[in-house]
Amino acid sequence: MKLLHLYNDLMNLYGEYGNVSAMMRMLEKSGISARLDRLSVEDQPVLSDYDFIYVGSGTESNQKYVLKHLHTLKEELKQYIEAGKVLLMTGNSFELLGECLTDTKGKEWQGLGLFPFRIKEQDRIRYTGDAIFTMEGLEQPLVGFVNKCSTIEGVNLPLFKVKMGLGNEGQGGMEGIRSKNFFGTHLTGPVLIKNPDFLIYLAQLLCVQAEAEQKEVTGMETEIEAKACEGARNKEADGGNRELLNTGWLEAERAGYEVTLRELGKRLSTHG
Amino acid sequence: MKTRLTIIICKLLRFIGKLIGKGSSLPGKIALKICPDILKQITLPPYIIAVTGSNGKTSTVEMIAHILTSNGKKVAWNKEGSNQIEGVTTLILNSCTLSGKVTADILLIESDERFARYTFRYITPTHYVITNLYRDQLTRNGHPEWVYNALLDSIHEETQLILNADDPYVSCFGYGKEDVVWFGAGDLSTDTVEFDGVYHDGAYCPRCKHPLTYSKYHYNHIGHYSCENCGHRRNETAYTVTDADLEKGVAVINGQYEIKLALKSLYNIYNILAAFTVASLTGIPGEKIVPCINNYVLKNGRVVTFSLNDRKGILLTSKHENSISYNQSLRIAAADSEGCDVLIIVDAVSRKYFTSDVSWLWDIDFHLLNSENVKRILLAGTYCNDLAVRFSYTEIPQEKIMVLDTVEAAVAALDNHNEEKIYVITCFSDKDKFLGKVRINQGTE
Repeated sequence: MKLLHLYNDLMNLYGEYGNVSAMMRMLEKSGISARLDRLSVEDQPVLSDYDFIYVGSGTESNQKYVLKHLHTLKEELKQYIEAGKVLLMTGNSFELLGECLTDTKGKEWQGLGLFPFRIKEQDRIRYTGDAIFTMEGLEQPLVGFVNKCSTIEGVNLPLFKVKMGLGNEGQGGMEGIRSKNFFGTHLTGPVLIKNPDFLIYLAQLLCVQAEAEQKEVTGMETEIEAKACEGARNKEADGGNRELLNTGWLEAERAGYEVTLRELGKRLSTHG
Repeated sequence: MKTRLTIIICKLLRFIGKLIGKGSSLPGKIALKICPDILKQITLPPYIIAVTGSNGKTSTVEMIAHILTSNGKKVAWNKEGSNQIEGVTTLILNSCTLSGKVTADILLIESDERFARYTFRYITPTHYVITNLYRDQLTRNGHPEWVYNALLDSIHEETQLILNADDPYVSCFGYGKEDVVWFGAGDLSTDTVEFDGVYHDGAYCPRCKHPLTYSKYHYNHIGHYSCENCGHRRNETAYTVTDADLEKGVAVINGQYEIKLALKSLYNIYNILAAFTVASLTGIPGEKIVPCINNYVLKNGRVVTFSLNDRKGILLTSKHENSISYNQSLRIAAADSEGCDVLIIVDAVSRKYFTSDVSWLWDIDFHLLNSENVKRILLAGTYCNDLAVRFSYTEIPQEKIMVLDTVEAAVAALDNHNEEKIYVITCFSDKDKFLGKVRINQGTE
């Protein structure tokens, strides 16, 4: 399995390298060997070589800077998406695949034109906030944070339904974009670490697409590890404090997710 | 008449506010409601010194005030740290006569970086210090370039800038200015040739996006840099840390002024250097500055020593959502050769607003704690699980790490007879939850 973190230096504003670290660990712990490449504007990646590509968010100026390079990959990226391979773009990176991006000075930047949406930026207010989104195919909602200065118009096939936070057109509504196995969202940060179910969902998809022998991704290397997790859970239920050694990383991720969902849920109930 | 009335109301409100323990921004807020251009009506002193930047504002301002007052100057400054326009208005109206004249020799203002453009609409600083631009409170601030653009609007043409030459972002403010005073660090024993942080905000030139070349890094993107493409480079400094020994706790400015450090960190040295620079520019000679800041212990409560029964400890206030602030504290703990336990608490991300975002944990270099000096690491608070996951991506032996849901549980786990010092690393929003359970020692280290 080959993974690509594209623009890992220019588009890594909110700890987003964590997303590829999470995918690597998920695959490796599930017994699937994986290789990670980190490439940027100085490189000429061959996209069809990869089974998973990730791009994170950047400053508005870095985003425009990588756009020039991304134009050289336009056809390859189009084929990659059409072939149903897995592409995750978070924050303002996915904005580059639209028709046009108007910056704060009114300059129009031509996007890759793979999708019909248009982006408009402003420089007075930062649109930020915690978010709860739901996705078809996932039982549990996702939690996260949106941090942007743009509005988006013309998304035909959104990715998430907004339960709390900013959608494509202001508060609520729908968020992001989905096309085959391309997932684009304004959620920022290590989305795949904060949402272990979404990580497993994508990892599984990756295995199906790559026609890997193994289709079940558990994140558990051995039975011992799985048992240790269970043990830790019981210990926690008894009110004892747990040690990371025995808890297992996936269990800690789930616990972190539950806490955030609970904290955001409190806000949701008090603020409607 | 309206001016006089507004001043009286503001002074009264502040007086009452102090009696009942209220903050210092409300009186200014009301004054601005009554008279929106009140600041325009005030006669300000000949020196108006402003300080902004991501980190070190409060400490720098406190040290400047200390040096200036010790040298017989009368200084009006926002001691309480209310650093948006409301707090600054309270400060100014409380420092002036009823006819609207500030009686101090020097007005010293700490300003929030995002709102500086509002604060300095009516006030034109004579001197403006910009300390640094880091990833800080990104859930509100967006990112450092966003803050840069906001700050750019706050700079008046006639203001003299005092800039950190080692920060490639801050240096950009100097373009088109003739009289910038640059400060920075020369060769330090702690410098690295290779970048060793978790993320690199100086990888590309902030002006032209060409890869930036560093001959040395002091820490993160702070160092000696140059761009082959557009020529953006570190400027020669007029005020320079020429030598620093963090183990001994000594820094030397301009090759001749040796300063003993109460807080042995490079970040503290930059704050001292900025304060030294400002004080020099107001005419105080170096030899009169040194005794004021030798072993100077900050009174802003950032460092607190405490006892937990027979154990001794230090709480290092570190800003959540600010990886550089955390790295500073992690470095101090990891360098303690006597051995230590480290407790990290993330219970509420901020005291001023709600967010459950912990993306910033991924920008912190927790791997710094992978030291033999560190015996145990305790992770506590609402977001202890997120901390645990973050630590699982370091190479720190997992058996050193303990995860606890509450601060109470962490205190109980530390309440033993171990000899190691305890370092507590947490934010304003969470520190009292810990300090309420231990004995705070008088004086700070």
